[in-house]
Amino acid sequence: MDYLELISLNIWHIVSAILNLLVLTWIVKKFLFVPVQNMLAQRQAQLDTLYTEAEEANTAAKADRAAYEEKLAGAKAEAEEIVRSATVRADRMSDQILAEAAEKASEKMRRADADIAQEKKKAINEIKNEISGMSVDIAEKVVGREIKEDDHKVLIDSFIENL
Amino acid sequence: MDSISINGARIYFEIPIFGGIPVTETQVNSLLVILAIFILCKVLTHNLNVRPTTKRQIIAEWVVEKVTGLVTENMGVRFKAFVPFIAALLSLSALSSLTALLGMYPPTADLNTVMGWALLVFVMITYYKIKTGGILGYLKSFTEPIVVFTPFNILGEVATPVSMAFRHFGNVVSGTVISALVYAALAGLSTVLLGWLPGILGVIPWLQVGLPAVLSIYFDLFSGCIQAFIFAMLTMLYIASAAGEDEA
Repeated sequence: MDYLELISLNIWHIVSAILNLLVLTWIVKKFLFVPVQNMLAQRQAQLDTLYTEAEEANTAAKADRAAYEEKLAGAKAEAEEIVRSATVRADRMSDQILAEAAEKASEKMRRADADIAQEKKKAINEIKNEISGMSVDIAEKVVGREIKEDDHKVLIDSFIENL
Repeated sequence: MDSISINGARIYFEIPIFGGIPVTETQVNSLLVILAIFILCKVLTHNLNVRPTTKRQIIAEWVVEKVTGLVTENMGVRFKAFVPFIAALLSLSALSSLTALLGMYPPTADLNTVMGWALLVFVMITYYKIKTGGILGYLKSFTEPIVVFTPFNILGEVATPVSMAFRHFGNVVSGTVISALVYAALAGLSTVLLGWLPGILGVIPWLQVGLPAVLSIYFDLFSGCIQAFIFAMLTMLYIASAAGEDEA
């Protein structure tokens, strides 16, 4: 086998070296860089999408929370309003009930007083009648004769009246 | 003691056109390296996934990002198109030198290989110089700072590819030469010191075990990778400076 000289130049070998380098450049580009860069671009796109989605979700969540807090505050106010109005109504009702009760009680008292007065009158009248009857009887016995009750009733009544 | 002969690439055969084109180990090994890189690219980028699931993909991404970073750092983002070229240059140079580890003839030990690369880089440098300053500006740059400097400037211009090629070539060849010398010396020493051993034991060059491996680590592995890096760095810096300041 022959050997080249240690230091030798051959135009065809130089050309083949250049072509080899160019071909390898093409190979490295087509089979390493382009696929990897495509994949990286795809990853970047996916990341961008994810970030956008995450930001959107975050914004939506924040909006939701604001709305919820607003609602919560509204609900609190509403509850307070309800309690307040209920208290007012209850106060009013209790006042009304108390007033009614007091009125009823005083009505009953009044009626009772009237009844008592009537009974008293009745009792007095009965006692008057009794006394007048008894007086006639006593007088009859004292006088010994019959006193016509009806004739003297007026007289006796005036007597009892002045008693 | 055997005579030491240090040759260039072995010639396999000649293509009988243009007065005979010798096909040597350089050509064959270069093609093998290119094939290896091609297979490596295919393997690394097999089943790429947006969410990396394999170590291969992580290596592929690492390589792409590292070379892209190297190029954009040294040349600027406007030279992004150079990334595959630099990657090819780095891998071809490094792996060509590393074939020596397999006992093959490293294509980078052939001056033709590195001269080809250096000339290609020289064409690119000149292209960017002309593109930036115009053909007149390019010619005028040779007369600066004064006309007397013209020969030196031309010499300097030509020296760029020559120095790039010989730097790379010399580093790889020196490793080969020193390795061959050390091997021969150790074989001689072995014969002198251990030649009294009976039968085949006396023939085996025992002293060749060990030291050449250490030298190989330095000359083939370390120097091979460093020279690839230096060549790529010089390429980037020359081209970037030829294109002048970033216009962006």
